[in-house]
Amino acid sequence: MIAMEHYIILSTLLFAIGMYGVIIRKNLLMLFFATEIMLNAVNVALAAISNYYGDLTGQMFAFFIVAIAASEVAIGLGLLIIWFKRHGSIDLDTLKSMKG
Amino acid sequence: METLLYVALFAPLVGSLFAGIYGASPKTLLTGIVTSALIFTSFVASLLLFLHLYSGGERVHVEMMDWIMAGDLNVPFGFVVDQVSVTMMLVVTLVSTVVHIYSMGYMEKDKGFNRFFSYLSAFVFSMMVLVMSDNFLGLFIGWEGVGLCSWLLIGFWYHKESATWAANEAFIMNRIADLGMLIGIFLIYWNIGSLQYDVVFANISNLDITIVTWIGIFLFIGAMGKSAQFPLHTWLADAMEGPTPVSALIHAATMVTAGVYLVIRANELFFLIPDVGYFIASLGAFVAMFAATMALVNRDIKRVIAYSTLSQLGYMFVAAGLGAYWIALFHLVTHAFFKALLFLGAGNVMHAMDDELNIMKMGGMRKVMLGTAVLMLIASVALAGIYPFAGFFSKDKILEVAFDGHHYILWGTLWITAGLTAFYSFRVVMLVFFGSERYKDFGFHPHEAHSYMLWAMAPLAVLAIVAGLFEHQFFDFVHMVLPHYEFSEHTHHMVGQLIIVTTAIAVTGIAIAVFSNMFREGLFSSAFRNNFLYKLFDNQYYIPKIYDEVFSKPYKELSEVFWKQIDMKIVDATVDGIANTLYATGEETRGMQSGNLSYMLRWMVAGLLVLLVSAVAYTYSDVLLTLLQGVAK
Amino acid sequence: MDYILSVLIFFPALAGLLGFLIDRKAVRSYVTTVATIEFILSLYLWIQFDNNQLGMQFMEQASLIPAFGIQYLLGVDGISLFIVVLSTFITLIGIISLPEDTKDLKEMLLTLLFLEMTMVGVFVTLDAILFYLFWELSLVPMLYIIGAWGGPKRVYASVKFFLYTFAGSLIMLVGMLVMAYLYFQATGVWSFSLLEWYRLQLPFDYQLWLFGAFFLGFAIKVPMFPFHTWLPYAHGQAPTVGSVILAAVLLKMGSYGFVRYSLPLYPDASVYFIVPIAILSIIMVIYTAMVAYAQKDIKQLVAYSSISHMGVVVLGTFALNPEGITGSIFLMISHGIVSGALFLLVGVIYDRRHTKMMDEFGGLASVMPRYALIFGIMMMASVGLPLTIGFVGEFLSLVGFYKVSHILTILAGTAVVVGAIYMLSAYKKAFFGTVTKDENKKLLDLNGREYATLVPLTLLVIFLGVYPKPVLEPVDNSVKAIVSLMHQKAITDEAKEVIPEINFNEEAR
Repeated sequence: MIAMEHYIILSTLLFAIGMYGVIIRKNLLMLFFATEIMLNAVNVALAAISNYYGDLTGQMFAFFIVAIAASEVAIGLGLLIIWFKRHGSIDLDTLKSMKG
Repeated sequence: METLLYVALFAPLVGSLFAGIYGASPKTLLTGIVTSALIFTSFVASLLLFLHLYSGGERVHVEMMDWIMAGDLNVPFGFVVDQVSVTMMLVVTLVSTVVHIYSMGYMEKDKGFNRFFSYLSAFVFSMMVLVMSDNFLGLFIGWEGVGLCSWLLIGFWYHKESATWAANEAFIMNRIADLGMLIGIFLIYWNIGSLQYDVVFANISNLDITIVTWIGIFLFIGAMGKSAQFPLHTWLADAMEGPTPVSALIHAATMVTAGVYLVIRANELFFLIPDVGYFIASLGAFVAMFAATMALVNRDIKRVIAYSTLSQLGYMFVAAGLGAYWIALFHLVTHAFFKALLFLGAGNVMHAMDDELNIMKMGGMRKVMLGTAVLMLIASVALAGIYPFAGFFSKDKILEVAFDGHHYILWGTLWITAGLTAFYSFRVVMLVFFGSERYKDFGFHPHEAHSYMLWAMAPLAVLAIVAGLFEHQFFDFVHMVLPHYEFSEHTHHMVGQLIIVTTAIAVTGIAIAVFSNMFREGLFSSAFRNNFLYKLFDNQYYIPKIYDEVFSKPYKELSEVFWKQIDMKIVDATVDGIANTLYATGEETRGMQSGNLSYMLRWMVAGLLVLLVSAVAYTYSDVLLTLLQGVAK
Repeated sequence: MDYILSVLIFFPALAGLLGFLIDRKAVRSYVTTVATIEFILSLYLWIQFDNNQLGMQFMEQASLIPAFGIQYLLGVDGISLFIVVLSTFITLIGIISLPEDTKDLKEMLLTLLFLEMTMVGVFVTLDAILFYLFWELSLVPMLYIIGAWGGPKRVYASVKFFLYTFAGSLIMLVGMLVMAYLYFQATGVWSFSLLEWYRLQLPFDYQLWLFGAFFLGFAIKVPMFPFHTWLPYAHGQAPTVGSVILAAVLLKMGSYGFVRYSLPLYPDASVYFIVPIAILSIIMVIYTAMVAYAQKDIKQLVAYSSISHMGVVVLGTFALNPEGITGSIFLMISHGIVSGALFLLVGVIYDRRHTKMMDEFGGLASVMPRYALIFGIMMMASVGLPLTIGFVGEFLSLVGFYKVSHILTILAGTAVVVGAIYMLSAYKKAFFGTVTKDENKKLLDLNGREYATLVPLTLLVIFLGVYPKPVLEPVDNSVKAIVSLMHQKAITDEAKEVIPEINFNEEAR
């Protein structure tokens, strides 16, 4: 039987992988993938907990997040392409216009 | 009568303001005439007030208007004319009238003619406030006012470094004493609740004797400054940098006697504390001798007279300290006459000699300025205390008082001083007016002063001769407010012998001065000049030097240290240090804001972890605490 | 004229806003007119003021933030009345004193109007938050004046001035919030009204902490030793008008704060801290007077002398009896006039020679006799000669403190000696002696504009020295009210003993 804990552990692991990616990756595209993993880790947890309590709100929330993440990726990738066209690189170390 | 009082008080002020209007304009004789006339008016008013009192009139007391009112303190501008103050008023206005008229001649070539008269009249006004006030704070107004005028007048020739230095010295030294006086006033206020003479003296005997003693001490510190008593005496000799009429008026006849006046005025207070009185008398006797020794050897005509003033002030303090207030006042009056005369005569000499002060460069001047010579001779005889001149009566009374109280040491000191006085005053006269005409070697062409200047001095000369004869009238007049001094029977019998002894030493002093000068010019041989005592006297006991080394220089150095080392390097550096630390912290941590996204993400994750850990720790804080306690055990 | 206080606060600010529309050439006469009207209004306030009434007058009240009891609460008593008049007077004098060749004259003039609003505001508000607001706002125009029109190190000086006083007042703000909270605890309602706070009797240990918080704010502003080092920089770099207003009015905010807040709110703590504060004051008096003596820059000298005099002011305040407090308030006014005049006088010579070093001068008395005369009068007032304005306050402050301690008063009394030392030696250096520098030989004496600023000040110095009663009487009545309030509120026996009981029946004059 797959218990509640297993989903939570899976979600935590996914989240940790995503966070590791966020920290370690220099490529902006890879960063996007890492954040997607983190988002989906949360989705897994939401769906699992919603199922556990028998409340559909959590699963609906997961859908919303999927939808929003999709649009976010669309916009984000669009910005990313423009950035690449202008600067020829999407390496994070070159993005320093906000340096204090 | 009140009108007379106001006239006497404010006429000098009007004169001062009038001359002040012309202060920066070129010389106009008008200022001199107007101020002199107004001072004379003041004199006449004082004289009328005197006659009113002399004929048995009531004392005049007015309250002009409120001044300081705060809390329970209420000090009005109040003025009182009684036997003591009217005596002072007469002396002040008489001497200043003479000095004003004299100054018109003395200052005739000076650019600051108008300014001079403005200051001089302002001084007279301050002095009148001082003597006429009916409360201690009013006295303090005059006290500081004369200090200010003295500063202005000593530094009158402000382009001279020595003059301005002396002016500042006088002001600052007086301020030190004034602080003492202020403290005395504070003590009076908090213990009696009023500063009016009437109230204070009515209640002073109810106070604890220690408090009265402290009041007496602090008031006397004030008096010491103004009357230039040791150790605050150095300013008086330096004050001779001012124009000579100023020395005559301020530093001989009036301002320096303010201290004596204060002790006389507060006689009810000092009467209660004979110990302090005895200290005052001892200091007075010491100063009398101390100053006379310095006068013996000085070669500066004005300084000799200044030291002589100091010495005579010592005499006055002996009388006042021993409770013979009326005798102190009497000597104050006679001294004012002959000392002012002496200074004005010295002024004539200086003028004749183009402001040369060294008496060694003079000699034989009686041939060119006989009038001045006679006047100065009269003054010197009076100073030496020869019968029937004024100084004889007053000085002799002081010696009798000292003898009467069995203060034989004081008496002895004063007795020797009387001899010294006679010697140095005749030494000056001999060196200036007799002997060979040394001035010719130095290329001077002396000339007699204007005749009206001599005539102006004449009243003083007359008074220097005859004032002493009015001793009994004077006593009858002032004893209405001043306590009577009872001589014991014993002294009564001795009076004759005492007079003879005193006169003897004075005559001896004169004789030594005269004869030594006839046989040898300069009086002191070169061998004598290398004598230790001579050097000590000539350098004024090295006191100015000591003050310079002990007070002035360290004060200046300490000020520099305070500013450059402490204020800049410690206090301010601490403040800047705090600011710089904050700034440096910012500078260090700005690396965080590298603008690098991945870098910032790492910080974000680190922050998240910290928050998570602390949230968990907070939730399980009780568990953790028990765990930690377990570990501790 | 029910709203005269509001008018006094906001008239200059509104006129200042309108001033932006005025043509550059006409702005000077416009601003002078505004300042004159403001001054006349403040005189009208004085005339309408009822001397015999002890409490606040011309009160105005409106609720600003009811939930926290923050009000628009105005009122004056004898203590604030004269500081308000002084503020408007000195602003007018300052505006007249500006030389024609000042750069950006229009901006300077309008800044002064805004500064005037904040100064009047501080002294008439009775609500703590509003007080804090004006207190902080006053820093901004002054920051501009120093930072934009100052000398070579102006940025450093202005930033130091701003941050230092700002840091102090933040701590004061915390104190205010705590105070309001304590009031809320005691009564169940929020209030920042000072008059409400007066009624609150606090436990002793709370008093100590709150006194400390307020003390820091006020002490930095006064400025007390060792928080004084911003002042010489600010004065040294500020333009003349800035120094005049800074010395004459802004410093008074601190000492006014002591009288208005610290004493009546925390009587026991005030008594508890008498000795430490007195020692700080004495250090201020003697130490800064000595530092002043070492100065070579005459403006710095006047700046340090300001600190020295403020020492006597603080000492008088902490005498905690009517004589001392009245004296300290009078001394605030007299110091405002005298130090303002001294800075103007320094400005006169700076305009001519563009240097403030005393070595550069000497013998000025013969070149500029009238200037020397006015300088001399002001110097004597600063030294505290009787019959000048300086004596009355100094005497009363010291007399008051003598009740508290003999020895400390004798030490503080050396003010009369050390003050004379630095002032006279500076005067000697600058005015006496012979003219050594060629540049000084052709210096012009005072011109019309300078007379217009200096003569009124000189007349005031002498008039109030001879007849201080018009000022002393209202001040004294209000001070007695404060002292009797303190006596009633005091909880410790020591405080009851030190703070005298006032018997008002006698005073029914």
